[in-house]
Amino acid sequence: MEGVRKKRSVVPLTLGALVVALVVLAVGCRPAAAPKPPPTPTPAPPVAAPAPERTLKIGGMWAMTGLLQGFGINSSAVARYALDRINAEGGVRLRDGSRAKLDLVLYDEGCPNVEQGIAAARKAAADPVLVVIGPTCSSTAEPVFGILQKRLDDPTDTGLQLLFFTDTAIKAGLASISPWAFRNVPSEIKMYEELFKWLKETTGYSTIAVGTEVDFAHSKSTSDVAIKPGATKAGFTIVADEGWKLADTDFSAQVSKMRAANPDVVALSSHPFTTCGFLKEASRQGFRPKVVILLTSSITEETVRGCARELEGAIGPTSFAPINKLAREVSLTVADRYRGFVDLHSAPVYENLMLLRRLIEEAGVEGRPDTVLQDRRRLRDALAQVKEFDGLLGKIRFRTDEPREVDKPWVVVEFSGGRFRPKYIPPEYRAAIVVD
Amino acid sequence: MWLDLLQQGISGVLVGSTYALIAIGFTMVWGVMRRLNLAYGATALGAAYVGLWFYRLAPDLSPAVLVLAAMASGAVIGLLVAMASFRWLPREYELAPLISTLGGLIIIEEVINLSTRGYPQSFPEVMSRVVFLGPFFFRLDHFAIFGICLLMVAGLYYLLFRTRLGLAIRAVSQQVVAAQLMGINPDRINTLTFLVTGVLAGTAGALAVMAIGTGSAALALTFTIRGLSAAVIGGLGSIPGAIVGGLTLGVIEAETLRIMGIGYRDVFTNLALLLILVFRPQGLLGTRVTH
Repeated sequence: MEGVRKKRSVVPLTLGALVVALVVLAVGCRPAAAPKPPPTPTPAPPVAAPAPERTLKIGGMWAMTGLLQGFGINSSAVARYALDRINAEGGVRLRDGSRAKLDLVLYDEGCPNVEQGIAAARKAAADPVLVVIGPTCSSTAEPVFGILQKRLDDPTDTGLQLLFFTDTAIKAGLASISPWAFRNVPSEIKMYEELFKWLKETTGYSTIAVGTEVDFAHSKSTSDVAIKPGATKAGFTIVADEGWKLADTDFSAQVSKMRAANPDVVALSSHPFTTCGFLKEASRQGFRPKVVILLTSSITEETVRGCARELEGAIGPTSFAPINKLAREVSLTVADRYRGFVDLHSAPVYENLMLLRRLIEEAGVEGRPDTVLQDRRRLRDALAQVKEFDGLLGKIRFRTDEPREVDKPWVVVEFSGGRFRPKYIPPEYRAAIVVD
Repeated sequence: MWLDLLQQGISGVLVGSTYALIAIGFTMVWGVMRRLNLAYGATALGAAYVGLWFYRLAPDLSPAVLVLAAMASGAVIGLLVAMASFRWLPREYELAPLISTLGGLIIIEEVINLSTRGYPQSFPEVMSRVVFLGPFFFRLDHFAIFGICLLMVAGLYYLLFRTRLGLAIRAVSQQVVAAQLMGINPDRINTLTFLVTGVLAGTAGALAVMAIGTGSAALALTFTIRGLSAAVIGGLGSIPGAIVGGLTLGVIEAETLRIMGIGYRDVFTNLALLLILVFRPQGLLGTRVTH
């Protein structure tokens, strides 16, 4: 028995050591990265201002684990860059004239695990965070916004009083759920409507097949309210309408049916993994539509890494492209120093934080532990007064027809030669978008 | 319509061969140890990723490097799972290995996520060309995988029925106490079984992900559910049953998709599984347990 007891006491230690070794080995042994472009000098950080005396907490609620963690990793990288920049420039000035630095507090929404997102929101509400940037997923944002206060100044409304300023969750209409929810996301309805109109006018194509990831809120919603209506309005005839699921691996049936329908255009309302799966199957079956249109969420580095070859020539709308000096600077610095990528989902983090820096000072945030709720309300009210603010592509305006939603400049990009390049700028944004 | 259904049936059989590859490992562990290894699908995927790492070490390496590296790493991961989830757990707690292998699945999945930062990874495709014959089309790599399945079954049969190791494995699976009395160390046999199934997992994972073309951590759960379902349909413990189960599952999925659409595919697939469990619980080729 003594020998057995001794053996069993060694077992957990050995097991733990083996597990740790496995994790270290795996995390350290990443597949070789794609070749990096030649380094471009990133601008030197500004001369440091006097060190801030206090700290304000900014929440970041993103998918940091799970299938969609790539989006969360990018958003958190941009957040760290933006906050480092703000803090290096002296932080923010508080109501009493003292200065505070901004600290990032991360909350993992665990998308698509909705319960985890709600738990994270409740935790953030109980913590002294001033505002939360996020969440990543529309399927998280919808229920999370649902537990926020619906009626300001109503003592009977026990919803959370926590300000959200969303960067990624893009499903239409979510900000209307609560006056505490603001979103800096483009309108996919408008983007796809304009894209299809431009495509029809410039090519004369007439038929379209649509592929939809049916078990994910964003892709299903975008397909139903943006892509299909936009295509139909522009005069396209939908000749095939196929579906698949987020984790599907075989697309032979869907590609085969689309191939039989012989459409001019294929629009894919799906995220990177299944977009790549579909494109690879299409390539195998020799199915080459004249144009492939991507979902906004597939215009990302993730898709490039998954299927760069099959992506060639695909187009899609995006509210971020490195087409001016600032956009390039942010994009390169985040990639070089913060190991993330800037795309239409993560770029708003920078825009949001730069705006919030100004608003924190204008609203007179006190930044004391006993003023958290008042500070959140001050900031919310200040944000509600904003008509327009600076974005990485150009000016972003809060909409008057949909409160707390924005109208932001966007472009159509095409994947060519290993990266996404601008192909078309809608006329209404040609003056607003800065290109240099 | 009939042509479509026939094409779907053909595609289903071919896709089902990847399910069969995974199912063989599930069924073999059950056959020897009467335990489910829920980490098996994740082992297959993890081994495929390790294989990919080796493959990317130098340009122009053959995809065979990926498969060989996956086989070796599958053996290592399989051994770790065997130690952590079976060998060191008290035998009297029957549910402990099941829960432990579930933990193993999650750990491997998260290690893949951490090491790739959640990004899908492009895997080399081999023989993935589609061949058109009249109104039908076939993927060559799926044919190859089907052939490899048959080879694996033949290899396993040789191992189990023509070698001393196989004799010991069968002895342990039939009556472990009697086997011990004959001088067979059941712990050693179970460990060797995991080594063998680990090699199978690496092979299955590498070939399956190369056929899919893009790897993602989410495939761990996909492999587990489909592999286990195929093994149950075919008959847990029956190696030929794993192949029949995999092909059957592939056909049910493909035909349901064609007839009912994506919304009902998984409903009817699992309904079929339920019906088999109710009316033929031993599976299509399994042996009914009598008391």
